[in-house]
Amino acid sequence: MGEYNSAQLDAVFGAVSDATRRAILAQLATGSARVTDVASAFPISLNSVSKHVRMLERAGLVERTILGRDHVLSLNADAMKAADEWMTYYRKFWTDRLDALDKMIQRKRRLATKKEKKS
Amino acid sequence: MTAAMTTPPVAQLTVRREISATAEELFDAFLDAESLGEFMRPGGPRNSDVVTDPRVGGKFEIKMHVNDSVIPHWGEYREIDRPRKLVFTWLSKNTNEQESVVTIQFHPVAGTKPRTEVVLTQVLLPDAQVKGHIGGWTRIVELLDEQYGTRDNNDSSKAS
Repeated sequence: MGEYNSAQLDAVFGAVSDATRRAILAQLATGSARVTDVASAFPISLNSVSKHVRMLERAGLVERTILGRDHVLSLNADAMKAADEWMTYYRKFWTDRLDALDKMIQRKRRLATKKEKKS
Repeated sequence: MTAAMTTPPVAQLTVRREISATAEELFDAFLDAESLGEFMRPGGPRNSDVVTDPRVGGKFEIKMHVNDSVIPHWGEYREIDRPRKLVFTWLSKNTNEQESVVTIQFHPVAGTKPRTEVVLTQVLLPDAQVKGHIGGWTRIVELLDEQYGTRDNNDSSKAS
């Protein structure tokens, strides 16, 4: 099964506790972007956007690649792994359980029909 | 549990399945210890050991036998509305004992033979210290889901 790490989940929660940081994450979820492009989407200074980005970087949610003069930010999907693995694990778990429930019900129904025919 | 209603979930998933049975049959199977022991068995020949106390506030325990180990799962009933809706908390040794809430809805499908759509939703609640501070998380998870795709159907070969 997918092991997931609750400490990592907690670290991620701290970083996403702020509306601006969530908006930055949502923007980066649609694709990588330069810091200046990210900043232009918000009515706050480049300096404060940079502070939020640094917090997201520290939480491991965002990665920065320096390409010449451009600082390109991208979402680190691994950091989302904890929530993602939990969902993947339980999607399979419940899909399999409902499958087993279906089989059990059909088996019981067949048994009931057989009994009816015998009596 | 009002927190579950007002606090945005950390993560959530929904599984749907249509089954040829009445809503009552399916609903009852989720509360009956013997039935649960049979279909809440992730593998191996041995049925799970189940204890249920099917009333709001009542608890259940499902001990699953996987290979040579016993994996306990447990929770508490929050809503029992036969045969439409069942809500219970779900915790497992397998997933760090983090509290989640499972809601199962039973929708009868029109037709000559009894058929019911089972819609199961599970939400993972944030830890107490971050409760109330993570609005918007669900939307981020949705965006990620759109970008990276869901994996509910293509890794079903993986053993749980």
